[in-house]
Amino acid sequence: MVNKEKNTSTKNIILSIKNASYRYSDAEEDDYALRNISFDFESGKIYAIRGRSGTGKTTLLSLISGLERCTEGDIIFDGKSLKDMNLDKYRNSDIGIVFQSYNLLPFMTASENIILSMDANGLKIKNKKGKAIELMEKVGLKEIYADRKVLRLSGGEQQRVAIARSLSYNPKMIIADEPTGNLDKQTEADILEIFKKLAHEEKKCVIIVTHSQNVCDNVDVIYDLKKVVSKS
Amino acid sequence: MFILKNAWISIKRNKGRNILIGIIILIIACACTITLAIKNTAGYLIDSYKSAYDKEVTISFNRENMMKGFDPSQAESRENVREKFDNIESFTISDVESFADSEYIESYYYTYSIGLNGNNIEKAEIELNNDMPNGFGHGKENNMSSTDFTLTGYSSLDAMSEFINGTYTMNEITDNAWDIAFDGNYVFINQELADYNDLNLNDKIKLDDEDGNTYEFEIIGIFKENEEGSTDAMSMFSNSANTLVTNASAVTGITTSNEDLQATINPTFIIDSYDNAQKLQDEFYEKGLNENFVLQTNEEEATSGVSSIENINSFATTFLIVTLIIGGAVLFIINMINIRERKYEIGVLRTIGISKFKLTMQFVSELVIVSIVALILGAGIGAVSSKGVSNSLLANEINSSNERTEEIGKNFGGANMNGGMPDRGNRGEMRGKGMPVVQAYDSIDAVVDIKVLLELLGIGLSLVLVSSIASMVSIQRFSPLTILKERS
Repeated sequence: MVNKEKNTSTKNIILSIKNASYRYSDAEEDDYALRNISFDFESGKIYAIRGRSGTGKTTLLSLISGLERCTEGDIIFDGKSLKDMNLDKYRNSDIGIVFQSYNLLPFMTASENIILSMDANGLKIKNKKGKAIELMEKVGLKEIYADRKVLRLSGGEQQRVAIARSLSYNPKMIIADEPTGNLDKQTEADILEIFKKLAHEEKKCVIIVTHSQNVCDNVDVIYDLKKVVSKS
Repeated sequence: MFILKNAWISIKRNKGRNILIGIIILIIACACTITLAIKNTAGYLIDSYKSAYDKEVTISFNRENMMKGFDPSQAESRENVREKFDNIESFTISDVESFADSEYIESYYYTYSIGLNGNNIEKAEIELNNDMPNGFGHGKENNMSSTDFTLTGYSSLDAMSEFINGTYTMNEITDNAWDIAFDGNYVFINQELADYNDLNLNDKIKLDDEDGNTYEFEIIGIFKENEEGSTDAMSMFSNSANTLVTNASAVTGITTSNEDLQATINPTFIIDSYDNAQKLQDEFYEKGLNENFVLQTNEEEATSGVSSIENINSFATTFLIVTLIIGGAVLFIINMINIRERKYEIGVLRTIGISKFKLTMQFVSELVIVSIVALILGAGIGAVSSKGVSNSLLANEINSSNERTEEIGKNFGGANMNGGMPDRGNRGEMRGKGMPVVQAYDSIDAVVDIKVLLELLGIGLSLVLVSSIASMVSIQRFSPLTILKERS
């Protein structure tokens, strides 16, 4: 399944998918949404998971992000099986998730969205708003945006807020689902630059699920997903 | 803290919806408060009314049993029934004492009557029907109807039902009458007998039994009979004109000195619960009570007076249930709509790692916060609204109680209830048959008390939790990724 690996550095695997399969509970016995997937992800690298519609990209994303559990196989994060982990804790401590449609709460300001994520993590810092502004500046947003309702921000600005939110508790891994799908080319480039910095400078593992060739051109490793064909 | 903080933010954000929920809960709270207050007051009045009655058991003939197989057209059948009645083995004071020695009986009293003839006084009227009093005699024969006077001894003040229920009213009484009335040869006599024989307080009267023994009594009170229609149409005197009221020990003294005298005993037992009446009857049979007797309670009498209040109580209960069902259904629907509207929010919160439990708690907390505010307001409004109605009910009961108490005081000679009346045994209260507790109500307390408030809180929060089930279940079932994809 590994199509292209641009950089073969020393292995520092943070996430390992081992023969993972997923079948919906109401599906027939042989009808898998995802079958026998085995990928490794290292810290300090940026990955793209590519595939056509129906190949199970979103399913894989939900397995990696702990929103679903594998029906077969296993996913190991930082040496521990997700099966043995509290997945809520995993999602608000170990990984950050960024969505194509940003998934911010529209009735909150940019900083409130970020602080909400800190609260969910149980982060105990005195000046949460200051920390939120710091994170916003890190992803290229000025302080004046902090008190704006997110609906008053552009798509690119909202996506930056979403990335800032995902960084609020300093996770080891960022998972992004078509993060540039709704953005223009320039903004896409800016967002990709942020991801690259997070991977290469802060040594985070960044996994991007995408259709975009431009994104694939900017990542270190690309995994291709192929459609699962039922034996029957 | 995180849950409450988020709940509070959410309440502020969704003002319109929360005000709507608040108004609905407020209406429910108002209705519940009024209903609970009425129920509370009604319950109080019912208990008060019932507690004014002692749970009494008396012994009476089992006429149904005795008349079994009776054919009035046949002389033989009539004779058999007469024979049955004549041959009933009655009971004595020692039997009564034996019956009273039961775990179900709290206290007892009795009247003890014998027939005597006048020695230095004359019977009020010769035509007077001096029927055998209701009761169960023992002795060689029933000879009271042939004597001039009936001497009725009461075992205690409780037994003096004619004075308690107002049939007799004391006209004159000596200052120390109640200090000595139950210990010695003292009598209360009818005003008509007093007039007929020109008798006054402190005069001494002499009575003879059929064997010629003479007994002397001092008059310490003169009473009159009030009951309308008590006077025989053929007589100018009332039925009690030749009844002499004394204490049971005085009568016992006479029957002890002359064992051949026929006496009549009417015992009344105060039991702990009407539920034990049947067990008590079985116990009496085991102790030797003839099976032609049965026990009768005053339960019907004790409950009949509160039927209208019980109806109000029942209506209030129905109203409460209907209010809760309708209110609960409306809250449930609003919650369902609320959850559907907030699916996206749930999806986002789940993806950033907020657990289902915390999320459920947040939604429930929102509803509980709004509910508590609405319940407090509703309880206040309900309390103001219900107070008038409930207090009016209570005030009527107090007036009625006080009037009744005063009336009973007058029956016993107009004695001051707080000082002039004797203590009726060890029960510490001036109580009697059909007689309310004296000074039971000093003032009208607020009807919406802590009990009502706790009930309201319990009902309100239960309703909120039940109507939150929809949101709880939905949160458990929602797949965050599906929600977010739908949104996309």
